[in-house]
Amino acid sequence: MTQEQVVETADFIARYLSHMLGAGVHTSRVVRNSKRIGTALGVDVSIHTSQKTATLTVKSGQLMNTRVLDIPAFPISFEWNADLSALSWAAYDRKMPLKEIEAKFDELISKPRMNPVFVLLMVSLANASFCRLFGGDVWAMLVTFTATMIGFFTRQHLTRRKVNHYIVFIISAFVASLCASTALTLGIDSAEIALATSVLYLVPGVPLINGIIDITDGHIQIGISRLVNALMLIVCIAIGMSATLMLVKDSLL
Amino acid sequence: MIALDIISDGLFAAIAAMGFGSISDPPMRAFPYIAILAAVGHAARYCLMTFLGFDIATASLIAALIIGTGSVWFGKRVSCPMTVLYIPALLPMVPGTYAYKTVFSLIMFLQEIPSPTQGSEYLQSMIFNGAVSFSVIFMLAAGATLPVFLLRERANSMTRGSRFI
Repeated sequence: MTQEQVVETADFIARYLSHMLGAGVHTSRVVRNSKRIGTALGVDVSIHTSQKTATLTVKSGQLMNTRVLDIPAFPISFEWNADLSALSWAAYDRKMPLKEIEAKFDELISKPRMNPVFVLLMVSLANASFCRLFGGDVWAMLVTFTATMIGFFTRQHLTRRKVNHYIVFIISAFVASLCASTALTLGIDSAEIALATSVLYLVPGVPLINGIIDITDGHIQIGISRLVNALMLIVCIAIGMSATLMLVKDSLL
Repeated sequence: MIALDIISDGLFAAIAAMGFGSISDPPMRAFPYIAILAAVGHAARYCLMTFLGFDIATASLIAALIIGTGSVWFGKRVSCPMTVLYIPALLPMVPGTYAYKTVFSLIMFLQEIPSPTQGSEYLQSMIFNGAVSFSVIFMLAAGATLPVFLLRERANSMTRGSRFI
């Protein structure tokens, strides 16, 4: 293996690594899959990760290449998680050459994401059934459904315009809870429940669970980073919602 | 009547899991299994808490353990890593209400600093809600990951030989 080949391999593994970490895959899986691709291509891979950057060393005999890479913020994608994991096994089992793995990788990451309108409908339904789980009646479910639809639509639009995600969370929580507060005016029995569940679609469940998984796997630093990140978003939800409560009620809670 | 309660709990949990999961773009083939896992897990937690008097953290641990074990079997079938199935299935059980009540109580505490009795009540409520939400989230993730530690070989080769790429 020549130095150029080592650099080329490192180029690819760097891309693979940053796409997986950026799409919200837990750390130990990313490390394991990258090492597997490294083994398939005949190199040793060592990785150090943190929230926004990662350090990668690719080594073959006396030749090596080390670099620090930025982790771009992709939206969370379980599809990439499944497909890119499968790619690492395919590379390992079929002894695919680097060019072929790269071509497959490009094909997999350019798959279209789920239709946003379908996601909007699914999320609204989900939050309405969440309202039911907390004991809301049919009218409260209907209010939650509508409020979530408007709130999530706001979130999708603001995200598309690349607004800072803390601001996106504050505004969407405010909009959703303000819409749900109509339940109070309409005099629905479980209006409180509708108001409380209307913002739950924003709770960052995936980073919270990923953070704990990372901690139990021993990647404690990045696990805590993820939890702190999720906590910041929860603070934003609370700020957005308390703005509504200050408007519609004399005092909070 | 009890059976109806359990079934409707599972049904609504399944819809919630699919909906909240769809934000994170799971593969289409995973949806039916996410729904089954979420329904079984949430209904199990509901039964444990309502009929057997378990606390929310222990019940979540057992439910997560069921979901995690189920995702080992289903994951191989649809060639999805376990996390792709069990994270969406756990989402309806994430204690969102407790989590933001923690922050609310903090905001209220700051407004009530001049009156020590009310202020300390909010401080107490903050610690209460924070402790519940942290332990439930911890139990959920730990319970679902436990099967990975027990069945390492199988759990780490879910996507091997996938016919979907």
